[in-house]
Amino acid sequence: MIQVKNVTKKYGATIAVNDISFDVKDGEIVGFLGPNGAGKSTTMNMITGFIEPTNGQIIINGNDISKSPRKAKKEIGYMPENVPLYYELTAREFISYMAELKLVKRNERKKEVEKVIEETGLKEVQNKLIRNLSRGYKQRVSLAGALVGNPDVIILDEPTVGLDPKQITEIRSLIKQLGKRHTVILSTHILSEVSQICEKVIIINKGKIIAIDTPENLEKSTKEKNGISVIVEDPKGNMKKLKQKIKEIDTIDFVKDNEDGTKQYVITTSSDIDLRKKLFEVLPKEEIVIFELKKTETTLEDAFIKLIDTVKVDENKNEKKKTKKSKEQNSKEEGKSESKKSKKEEKK
Amino acid sequence: MWAVYKKELKTYFLSPIGYIAIGIFMLMYSIFFYLTTILLGSVDMGNLYYATARYGLLLIVPLLTMRMFSEERKNGTEQLLLTSPRSVTSIVLGKFLAAASVIVITLILSIIYSIIISFFGNINVPTIIATMFGFLLVAMAAISIGTLASSITENQIIAAIITIVALVAPWFLVDISKIFSSIDLIDKFMKFPYGLISISDVISLISITVMCLLITIVLIKRRKAVK
Repeated sequence: MIQVKNVTKKYGATIAVNDISFDVKDGEIVGFLGPNGAGKSTTMNMITGFIEPTNGQIIINGNDISKSPRKAKKEIGYMPENVPLYYELTAREFISYMAELKLVKRNERKKEVEKVIEETGLKEVQNKLIRNLSRGYKQRVSLAGALVGNPDVIILDEPTVGLDPKQITEIRSLIKQLGKRHTVILSTHILSEVSQICEKVIIINKGKIIAIDTPENLEKSTKEKNGISVIVEDPKGNMKKLKQKIKEIDTIDFVKDNEDGTKQYVITTSSDIDLRKKLFEVLPKEEIVIFELKKTETTLEDAFIKLIDTVKVDENKNEKKKTKKSKEQNSKEEGKSESKKSKKEEKK
Repeated sequence: MWAVYKKELKTYFLSPIGYIAIGIFMLMYSIFFYLTTILLGSVDMGNLYYATARYGLLLIVPLLTMRMFSEERKNGTEQLLLTSPRSVTSIVLGKFLAAASVIVITLILSIIYSIIISFFGNINVPTIIATMFGFLLVAMAAISIGTLASSITENQIIAAIITIVALVAPWFLVDISKIFSSIDLIDKFMKFPYGLISISDVISLISITVMCLLITIVLIKRRKAVK
């Protein structure tokens, strides 16, 4: 269980993370999403105790990370961004060193290291120098370092960056397995990754949390309209008249002409109506031949972009308001000072 | 502490650094052995240790300390250390003691020369032990300065240069004011080769060591809050 309470991190005048709060329950896989520079890594570094928050509290399994760091840090396995490793050690030596650092008892250490090597599939390369390993294996060694000592919470900062597609799917399935026994927080900017692995998504932008929800709900909530994409052969140009035949249709948008003479359209309706059945009935009557008909799906990607854009729009509005307000205030203050002056003069 | 200590000591001998440090020490020690004892027909080992401390440490200590924290910071492995349940104090002490251990190894190797000399005349064993003790104290103080230098920069070369300057500058600053002799480590080593263990020298060397290590610990902790 991780509790993040009103955490703020300032670097001089710039605010990297602004008053964020969230909980992660035991056994959850949580995805941390956000554009570059949104404060993902900063937040993760604060949860792991690498940097201290300017304000706020981070509690891991009941232990405050800044007040009882030894207990709290023992519960965390961290795989940092850019995969830092000791290149002069072998994979096995590195994992064993991490086990020692994490206070794994001497008599359990060998067994624990063995178990983690097995889990991450490092058996063949365990005695090679990390310097000579490929990027994918380095990533796994780093992951093994995070897993050793069986911590409750595992924090992964961009775990699949720089891997080939096969390795990515391998690491993803590994993370999914981990979610059964551990609480996992992972940051990424690959959205499909989140919708595949995570049960909960935290979207962060400019140091603020803009949404916490399941990937499905996020997709739904940003979906305002149902879209149906159709590819048809329409020699008589009856598509334009369709709106009169089916009253539920909001818009019919022409997308493109295909080479084989078919045309693609997107038909939108309000979100609670499914028109697919009706279209199948009506279009042939209008002498329109259906080549393809499918529902357009909103993805997490749409949700993400939409959420971030709405924040920007809101901010612009706020700024405008602020400038208006400040102007008003200025004029008020000026008025006040003037009145004060006049009062003073009166006193004189 | 011992986890970091073991790993650091191992790293010294996995990379060439440990061997180079010992090699440089033995080379200088041998040259001074020829100059101070064989050439003069003397059995006095004091000058030998004094000369090696003065010039040898200048090369060995930066070599041992420059990568201590600079490299960790540059490679990001610092994150692994600082997010582990180990305290900053135990990490700093582990690294410091590992470097000091390399010096102890060199001192043990240096005993060979005393054994050689003992075939040709009577050596004064208590004096040699006192000298070696002093040498270790001076080396530890120099290492602590190097540790501090390494913790303030990501660049190993800058760390090494800071260490060398901190060790050499007092030799010349003494001409400006006598006050600077208090930070001159070699000045505190003067009496040991005569078999004299001066409490004030011992205490000032130990306090320089402790002070530099404390500043290192505070700096690393402070960086956590600022970073």
